[in-house]
Amino acid sequence: MYLSREEERVLNGEEGWAYQVAMRILVKLGDLFEADKLIPIESAHISGVSYKTIGDASIDFLEALGDSGAKVKVRSTMNPAGIDYNHPEEMIRVPEVMEKQDRIINIYGNMGIETVLTCTPYYINKPKENTHLAWAESSTVVYANSILHSWTNREGGPSALAAALIGKTPNYGVHKPENRLANVLVKVEPRLKSEAEHGALGAHVGKLLKDEIPCFSGLTHTRETELKHLGSAMASTGMTSIFYPDTSCPRISGELEVVSVDVNDLKNAFDSLSTTNESPDMVYIGCPHCSAEEVKRVALKIEGRRVRRDVKLWICTSRYVRKKAERYVGIIEAAGGKVLSDTCAVVTWLKEIGIDVLMTNSAKTAYYAPTMNRVETVFSSLDRCIEEACE
Amino acid sequence: MPIVLKGRPIMGGRTRGRALVSKDPLSFLGGVDPETGRIIEKNHDLNGEKVGGAILCFPHGHGSTVGSYVLYSLVRRGIGPKAIVNEKADPVVVVGAVIADVPMVDGVDISKIRTGDLIEVNGDEGMVIILEERSSCT
Repeated sequence: MYLSREEERVLNGEEGWAYQVAMRILVKLGDLFEADKLIPIESAHISGVSYKTIGDASIDFLEALGDSGAKVKVRSTMNPAGIDYNHPEEMIRVPEVMEKQDRIINIYGNMGIETVLTCTPYYINKPKENTHLAWAESSTVVYANSILHSWTNREGGPSALAAALIGKTPNYGVHKPENRLANVLVKVEPRLKSEAEHGALGAHVGKLLKDEIPCFSGLTHTRETELKHLGSAMASTGMTSIFYPDTSCPRISGELEVVSVDVNDLKNAFDSLSTTNESPDMVYIGCPHCSAEEVKRVALKIEGRRVRRDVKLWICTSRYVRKKAERYVGIIEAAGGKVLSDTCAVVTWLKEIGIDVLMTNSAKTAYYAPTMNRVETVFSSLDRCIEEACE
Repeated sequence: MPIVLKGRPIMGGRTRGRALVSKDPLSFLGGVDPETGRIIEKNHDLNGEKVGGAILCFPHGHGSTVGSYVLYSLVRRGIGPKAIVNEKADPVVVVGAVIADVPMVDGVDISKIRTGDLIEVNGDEGMVIILEERSSCT
């Protein structure tokens, strides 16, 4: 990979250890994936924030970086943490855990990363079309490439952080137009109605396609929320970083390999995201974090009703959206639900707060929660979730 | 005559030690206990072995990118591998070796190496040298 004189200087350690190690990460990854050079990025999004998922090992490295003066060069945001400090009554209350989570947020904050902890940074600051980014968090990546038409590889926590510190990323993968062409056509036979059905479709397709780039035919209900759920599910069960919701897209050839999805495929995918039919002790909406529109949708369904005493209703979103949708947050909380920010059900401690069965409209959560949170899952549409949560 | 296996240099540095060889891919997150350096990945052929001080040879990594941080932490606590030899390097292990400053070579046919062999890893040249086979030293 070609390096400018300035980049060489950083690689040789002339800007200090933190930037040297960041540059080394980019150079090694660039070599591995045969990038020709580094390209400037508009923003970075860093994963690896929740103490539950990253543990003590990561703190060692992050602290060393921070201590040697690492500061980000571009606008950078970070993923949700394990705790919403504004709702301590809902959270795990182990002082050591709270202290370590706080330390992680501070280390990142001191590097200049915005302490808005969300997997939907695009609702706060939308990147421009056709700009290069270095975003981690698979649902965020697929959203950026497919819905916002900005360009980012599926970064991991360390590589996104390295890119943030240098302000550049190696030029490979979907940073190159020739690697963004659809190479498989997914024909969807059933007419999908809910965001949950889009999630189930995504979970099914992700497993089949791995890292291929699909375009879809037959999606008739392509609102932003539904596409967000489709993409995040695909990125969970597969390695997808980009998809096209219809067939008017750049393709690798005229005739694409075809994958058909029929009514039975969809039903099987939907059903396989539930591990139990027991009643839930938590109903969870907000994976990926809710948009203002989704918060409003929940509020309109729940207005005038009452959440059951034996069920927790969690709606997770960013602090920004929570503020923007304040009126609807008020309606949800009056009904007994909780609108949380800075965290989500998957990256927090559920078992430890007494949750055994989690009901959700998110295919991504239903896919991860049985292993990451050791809970049983019930996967259903938003309507059914709210029905189940209320008296 | 020592056997020389040519590969690709990933992370520079030269070191020698006993090989710990696996046929299975390894996830550092969840697969290696960060407190002891013991491999705890289920159904892994090295389950129960400690990576500390060994030259760890395995096909490639898998799993979460947090695994890079686990490798760093193991090395910093003195219970990490001395060097890494892979068949095909993947981003998680490469980033881990970079931040932990551990010599690493890939593109090597690791079936030629056996656990217990005394080997040298030359991360600058991308070479693994089998200095002494296990059978001759027992």
